[in-house]
Amino acid sequence: MNPTQGGWVILTSFLVALVLSIVHLPEGWPEWFSWLRPSWLVLVLFFWAIEVPHRIGMITMWIVGLFVDVLLAQPLGLNGFILASVTYVAWQFFERLRMYSVFQQCGVLFILVLAAEVLRELVLGLGSSRVWNWWVFLVATMTSMAWPFVYLLLVRIRTGMRIE
Amino acid sequence: MLIGLAIASALLIALGTSTRLTEPARGWLGTVTSPIYLVAESPYLLSERLGLIFASRDQLLERNETLQRQVLELAQVSQQFVSLKAENDRLRGLLGSQGRLAYEVLIAELVGVVPDPGVHQVIIDKGVDARIEVGQAVLDAAGLFGQVVEVSQFTSRVLLVTDQNHAVPVQVNRNGVRSIAGGTGEFDVLELENLPVSADVVEGDLIETSGLGGRFPAGYPVGIVVSVLVEPTSAYTEVVIRPSALLDRSRHVLVIFQPDQQIVTEQEAQSAFEGSETDELLEQEVRP
Repeated sequence: MNPTQGGWVILTSFLVALVLSIVHLPEGWPEWFSWLRPSWLVLVLFFWAIEVPHRIGMITMWIVGLFVDVLLAQPLGLNGFILASVTYVAWQFFERLRMYSVFQQCGVLFILVLAAEVLRELVLGLGSSRVWNWWVFLVATMTSMAWPFVYLLLVRIRTGMRIE
Repeated sequence: MLIGLAIASALLIALGTSTRLTEPARGWLGTVTSPIYLVAESPYLLSERLGLIFASRDQLLERNETLQRQVLELAQVSQQFVSLKAENDRLRGLLGSQGRLAYEVLIAELVGVVPDPGVHQVIIDKGVDARIEVGQAVLDAAGLFGQVVEVSQFTSRVLLVTDQNHAVPVQVNRNGVRSIAGGTGEFDVLELENLPVSADVVEGDLIETSGLGGRFPAGYPVGIVVSVLVEPTSAYTEVVIRPSALLDRSRHVLVIFQPDQQIVTEQEAQSAFEGSETDELLEQEVRP
């Protein structure tokens, strides 16, 4: 079995997640709609990090985070740290997390994303007059609600492409 | 390793939020990531194209007619403008000050919107290759749109006037009362900051750029005053402005290139001389 097989699939899934995280709604939709966006990148990363932990590196993720920072107009280093921490948690517990039911995984994701979003708001609040908002709970909820669908889709892709 | 990355992140964030050292890196990363914006924006770009392709003959004729009418109207206005400008320059000559120089503009198309609702920024399709620099003012057809805050090779990032971190030196068109219009984070609200209760501003006043600070050229419409509220307990008037520019709808914008020497009146010359970074301080210094 070729150990680098399917690298492009992982890469593509990350690119799709990046595109999904910056796609915006047509003009005229209420602004708060964009708070319903799950954090796609964390979902995709979490999947690959518990399924094929040896293929996902923390430093790689930190560097990917730099690109995300520029895409989202956030301070450099912020998303790198968030993605690297998610990878770290997944690495530490991947054997246990794999055994969890999908709904338990949803719970873990809720906590992870909530922590990440709170950190994000705090850091963004440092450099600007941005006010604290409670929408972060919505982002975490939406992310954990999207997890079962993302999981099913990616599991299919993974078994179909035989990515080890 | 996580701790190492955390320290690296913290250092980068501290550098990025308090200095400008990370800007070249952001520009480079922005060049690499701009295709992702194009992909994300492609549904809108494509639908615009398809709309043109599948438009019926009647629609096109109708559109052509309205555009021709608009061109005629604008041509008439610009004829007046030419003579007014000549007259203005003559009068300025009599007063011993130099005439205003014309600005060059570049038309750019919007290729992306930053998804975070707390950040009002858009991406336009012109960058370093079109000689765009950080700090240039951006207009749309109706008024002041924002300013360039980050440039990469083929795209640049524009901070809209309504962003919480944006402020622009303005004056009331009717009587020249100067102030600062700050963004609020809502697409249809700007506020005049620190305006004394005695200031003469009424509902319906046109607010335009004052040109102080040297970053924004003078005389472009910023918005219309929609409400003036004097709180008995506050030392300042709360003035709410509706921006003229169609901030959440415009797809084509104009980037303004300032001529190198743009010294107009003594007052403005003084403010340009003292640098453009401290708009707000300057504003207070020169206020009579």
